[in-house]
Amino acid sequence: MSIFVDETTPIVLQGATGSEGSFWAKHMIELGSNVVSAVTPGKEGQELHGVPVYHSVRRAQAVNEAEAAMLFVPPRFARDAVFEALDAGIRRVVTIADGIPLQDQVQIRAAARAAGAQVVGGNTSGVISPGKSMLGMFPYWIERVYRPGTVGIMTRSGSLTNEVTAWVVAAGFGVSTLVGVGGDLVPGSRFAEFLPAYEADDDSEAVVIVGELGGSMEEEVAELVARGEFTKPVVAFLGGRTAPSGTRMGHAGAIATGSSGTVAAKVAALEKAGALVADRPRRVGELLRSVAA
Amino acid sequence: MKLLEYQGKAVFAEAGITVPASRLVTVEPGGTKQALRERTAEAARELSAEGADGADGAEGAEGNRHGVVVKAQVTTGGRGKAGLIKTAGSPEEAGEAAEAILSRDATVRALLVEEMVSIERELYLSISVDAPSARFLILASASGGVEIETLALEAPETVKRVEVDPFFGLQAYQSRGLAFDLGLSGDTAKQFAKVVGALYEVFRSRDAELAEINPLFVTSSGRLVAGDSKLIIDDNSLDRQKEFEVTREQFGTETEYAAALEGIPYVQFEGDISLMCAGAGLTTTVYDLVQFEGGTVANYLEFGGPNYRKARRAMELCLENQSKVILIVTFGTIARADVMAEGIVEAIAELKPDRPIVTCIRGTNEESATQTLRDAGIEPLLDTEEAVRTAVAIAKGERQ
Repeated sequence: MSIFVDETTPIVLQGATGSEGSFWAKHMIELGSNVVSAVTPGKEGQELHGVPVYHSVRRAQAVNEAEAAMLFVPPRFARDAVFEALDAGIRRVVTIADGIPLQDQVQIRAAARAAGAQVVGGNTSGVISPGKSMLGMFPYWIERVYRPGTVGIMTRSGSLTNEVTAWVVAAGFGVSTLVGVGGDLVPGSRFAEFLPAYEADDDSEAVVIVGELGGSMEEEVAELVARGEFTKPVVAFLGGRTAPSGTRMGHAGAIATGSSGTVAAKVAALEKAGALVADRPRRVGELLRSVAA
Repeated sequence: MKLLEYQGKAVFAEAGITVPASRLVTVEPGGTKQALRERTAEAARELSAEGADGADGAEGAEGNRHGVVVKAQVTTGGRGKAGLIKTAGSPEEAGEAAEAILSRDATVRALLVEEMVSIERELYLSISVDAPSARFLILASASGGVEIETLALEAPETVKRVEVDPFFGLQAYQSRGLAFDLGLSGDTAKQFAKVVGALYEVFRSRDAELAEINPLFVTSSGRLVAGDSKLIIDDNSLDRQKEFEVTREQFGTETEYAAALEGIPYVQFEGDISLMCAGAGLTTTVYDLVQFEGGTVANYLEFGGPNYRKARRAMELCLENQSKVILIVTFGTIARADVMAEGIVEAIAELKPDRPIVTCIRGTNEESATQTLRDAGIEPLLDTEEAVRTAVAIAKGERQ
């Protein structure tokens, strides 16, 4: 995996001994992720799919030093678990928890910034490089979505990403690394913060942004493209073009008020910067063909 | 959760922010206009009696002892323009105002009758989060009374910002500085700084997404009084915010209320097609595609994520609408397609829906999902746009 982590990056799992966590931990390992330890308070000495379990991240680090942490902990414990990972010196963290309290998210992002770390999520499936490794929960065996290839994908959604990515694959492409930043109002990491990695990544020829109404993450991408700091082709699809103002559409982050956060403003910013914007998922594949081989 | 004005003001008052003296008048379902008029007039009478003998001093903001304001308790904005806020010079007028408000909007469930405050000027104050910087953001303006979006566009120089570090918290110099930046001085500046501190306390302790006072009145005798409240509690924090309950009056319709109790994301619209989709982004996109194809949406509903086994309840909610067709689109991975399809087939068997259902269910185990639907006599589609076009055609009566 060339973005965020690769197949050699040692990974610690937090809260993965429950049934859901255990299920996805197994798939992470089967795909090739380098899981070196697991942490569940009170379960030290056990094993999870052959991986030793420790009481705390610090105790795990003392034996097998991990560089990335994958959190399966519930929303109300997410802040504590992220802080624990950061405190143990880990600088790349994915938290999939759906429903992290907003002000906890603010502190998570603030702590990550202070530590020079990157925290992905919550409310995401995580990060995957199909065919290589993943930090998260992706059914990579579904070929028409998770085909390995050369298109980087960044997204705020789950199901919509499948819809869009299926069109990317149908157009003859595959996925290099997919980063789900999540649907929350304050995601731990933002789209633009991954662009330098995609720029440097030889496996990625173009990047697809799956965005939606609300917030300013798409505008931040446009800014980097306009400044010439990201030079690969960008194709975006944004949900919520026709959403009424002031109405929250599902995700906590998906709300436009007045003229801020509207898809129209995002499309204008992206197009002005030279990115291509699809008005429906099907068009993403067509637009990619016009800019990438 | 968007609190109603009176609920937000109760929280403000508890934190030491002055609010006008008030009475809440609930609108009894099926009650007569006469009864509503009388109860509103009585509330106004009580308020002026209080004003006369100076009772309720903690709240009392030197009300004009005769005038009151009657305000519909709804969570939608623009109440003034919609005719849902009216002033009244006497208890009788207050009763008439209540009736006029209900004739404007019959869904109003409660009215707040407040003493009229003598206003010198209006300020704006809010606290929210700034996602990129991961800070709490305080916005204030000396030109309150208009929406902040309008203010930011038309008079951005009047909007002052203070960013608060979420670990250090609000510092006294920040509140003080904000007061001076607004051009306030003397006792008014001191009071303002106190209000900022109190509102910050409310914001943090109640896990608010937004705490806003607009307008924040400066009265003719120099007191600061919250003219309105906008307090949105973060839905993800309701587990630890036990004081707030989902109540019927926070919603425009029974269906929205029922969906909220169920934890099913639901938005009411007035069109023909009920969306019953999985995933927020996908549902929002299907909403767009329906509009692109010339259709209209009756409701937004998501039964993905943790709700993916709730097909029956989701369909029940859709059936409460006057929609002409139910459009089901999913592309689930963790929320498995086969489980959703089984749920849908069961829901159809139990509910016997009186309108057509169009399905487009993809994702994990979709082959099995397709078979399940076929066995139940449904012809499943596998392309989102085709499903949308089919639903729009059915809604328009162009096909069955």
